[in-house]
Amino acid sequence: MSNPEARFNQAIKEILSGGLTRTVLSVILGFLVGAMFMIGSNKEFLEGLTYFFSRPQDSLGAAWSVVSDGYGALFKGSIYNAEAEDIVKAFRPLTETLRLGAPLIAAGLGIGLAFRVGLFNIGGTGQLIFGMIFATWVATRIELPIVLHTVVALMAGILGAALMGALVGFLKARTGAHEVILTIMLNYIALYFFTFLMRDPMLLQEERATGNPKADPAAVTAQFPKLFGDEYSLHWGLVIALAAVIVYWWLMERSTIGYRLRMVGFNPDAAKTAGINVNRTYILAMGLSAAFVGVAASNQALGTAIGVTPSSHAGIGFDAITVALLGGSSAPGILLAGLLFGAFKAGAPAMQVIGVSPEVLGIVQGAIVLFIAAPPLIRAIFGLPKPQTTNALIAFRDRLFGKGGAK
Amino acid sequence: MAHISNQEETLKLKNASAAFALLGVSALVLTGCAAAPEAEPTATETASEAPSVDYLACAVSDEGSWNDKSFNESVYDGLTKAQTELGVQIADAESNSAEDFAPNLQAMVDQACDITFAVGFNLVADVNAAAAANPESSFVTIDGWSEGNANLKPVGYAMNQSSYLAGYLAAAYSTTKVVGTYGGMQIDAVTDFMNGFYFGAMAWGKENGKDVKVVGWDPAAATGQFIGDFTPNSGTSKSIAAALINDGADVIFPVGGDQFGAVSEAIKEAGIAGVMIGVDKDVALTSPEYAPYVLTSAEKRMTNAVYDIIAELSAGGAFNGDAYVGTLANGGTGLSPFYDFDSKIDDATKARLAELEAGIIAGEIDPLS
Repeated sequence: MSNPEARFNQAIKEILSGGLTRTVLSVILGFLVGAMFMIGSNKEFLEGLTYFFSRPQDSLGAAWSVVSDGYGALFKGSIYNAEAEDIVKAFRPLTETLRLGAPLIAAGLGIGLAFRVGLFNIGGTGQLIFGMIFATWVATRIELPIVLHTVVALMAGILGAALMGALVGFLKARTGAHEVILTIMLNYIALYFFTFLMRDPMLLQEERATGNPKADPAAVTAQFPKLFGDEYSLHWGLVIALAAVIVYWWLMERSTIGYRLRMVGFNPDAAKTAGINVNRTYILAMGLSAAFVGVAASNQALGTAIGVTPSSHAGIGFDAITVALLGGSSAPGILLAGLLFGAFKAGAPAMQVIGVSPEVLGIVQGAIVLFIAAPPLIRAIFGLPKPQTTNALIAFRDRLFGKGGAK
Repeated sequence: MAHISNQEETLKLKNASAAFALLGVSALVLTGCAAAPEAEPTATETASEAPSVDYLACAVSDEGSWNDKSFNESVYDGLTKAQTELGVQIADAESNSAEDFAPNLQAMVDQACDITFAVGFNLVADVNAAAAANPESSFVTIDGWSEGNANLKPVGYAMNQSSYLAGYLAAAYSTTKVVGTYGGMQIDAVTDFMNGFYFGAMAWGKENGKDVKVVGWDPAAATGQFIGDFTPNSGTSKSIAAALINDGADVIFPVGGDQFGAVSEAIKEAGIAGVMIGVDKDVALTSPEYAPYVLTSAEKRMTNAVYDIIAELSAGGAFNGDAYVGTLANGGTGLSPFYDFDSKIDDATKARLAELEAGIIAGEIDPLS
């Protein structure tokens, strides 16, 4: 046994080399990259550069003010608006973050599930759209009492997406076609099928939309009720997304199905040898993955009083990939990543209003995922140690909170 | 050996990067050596140069950017004109999808805008909701309507009036006597242009006893060609234009924002002596690259309306929710100059256009019959 100091050092090393440290650093770096773009596109800064050496404070001042204004607006638009007239309005940005984050969390869980099984589900958009078709149909074409209508529409949305996902799993298992190609192509089929349905009043089109692809708004009985009254647009979609997080955690970490899914993800050949039907697992995995995306679909279709249009998928299917990557495909990770990207969506208008282009947030989002996807890069930038394999950290934690605490 | 050559490689790399660094630094030094500008002029001087009013005018775009060379841009120009000439402050937000409308409008309310312009018919539901939820804020909806909100001013245009003239001119100019039109989306704000165009072209046919055909829109059946969105110069747009040309049309009236690139390409590829008629802005002037194909434009002068509203309110005028309708009579709409095509249009047609305009203003001619 080495001395306590060496063990402590080893534990620190493991924390530094762990995924959490890397994720946090990636997020910070992402914001720095975004700041560079904000500075680089700022007129005052560029003008100041031409005489940088005679009066550097002009450039530097402009750089500082554009970054602090930009990220200040992001905070104001996504968490707390200190300039609001009352406390209820001041917290509206936070509720917007939760509202916009909810579908990202649900869809992120779906994509994360596929990652855990070793599948790359790029078809979030297509599955989302199929979920919206089913949910919108139930919400606009069937009459049911309140609550029951919402539940049935929600289930229909999940079913519609799951069928689309299972189809991909089936084709992969049956024909060996690659799921990336299948899901990308099905995205287009889904989008244009949806647009087709919304062009015919006999199908999903709104009566007064006159030729535009626009569906009827969901019936009042089917809409997700508001969570905190009419002052906020936050609705029950958030609660359902949080429930999905718990279901996902239980499914992946505690259930036998999850065990089978993870086993196929680690090594399909070994899983096969151990008697697992890998092909059936692929179908199941794609179906389950899309089912979580379906929760997001219901959120889009039932969370608004205005009818869906072909752009109602709002790019969630693709954003969910970045959410799952940032969250490391774990339930708590996806929850936090979904909230972060929800905050980006909520804060974008506030940034735009003060003249900072919200595309910067897309760059931040992309840069974060880039850094996450390249662990050696982050380690090189910050001089972090390589991943450690000893159990010193666990021993250290035990000593702090476990058996050691008793004496 | 391998080890040594590796070292050499690294050395070379290092040298290379050092050279780049040196280049970068010297560029910085060279550009950064200019003298700093003189101190800011004193406060009294600036006050006399540019006026400044404590008034914040804001705008939220329809799907698409402010630089669409058409609809959104017209409004944005009004905003920037008010900024430079009146000295008001402005703020704006572009919407990428319908999901952005409500948050963008909310951002304007949070920013305490004195007036917020919601550009486009597609925002009508969201801007009415925002107006109802924020009775202390003032809104303007362009091409929309107010659902009983006193703090929402609708701005609309009788585009059938200028489009009637455009249709008449198109039929007169056409050699095939087939003219075509198509729209972005089938909404009243678009079909109003197409109706006027249709009846204008038919009017020429009746007066001259010739058969004129309008392809792409049938007002009686309310069916026609639509892109489905306002994406500038999309492939769909170009293929619709090509189909209209295929049907014999040699004058095309695309009513869907910036579709002028798509139409001019379709004309070029078909190899016909075709032209198009611009919409919303004076396209030959604002996008000179299309000028050889632009016969004239049916202008929707939103820039002026936006500027006038801001000018009146920022000078202390009281807000009212009365609708503003741009017509030929008040100059809110009208045909652009013909520029290079002026010599190709005979004087009889020009004279008749002036008569028609006077007739519409006097109410003697109905552009929708």
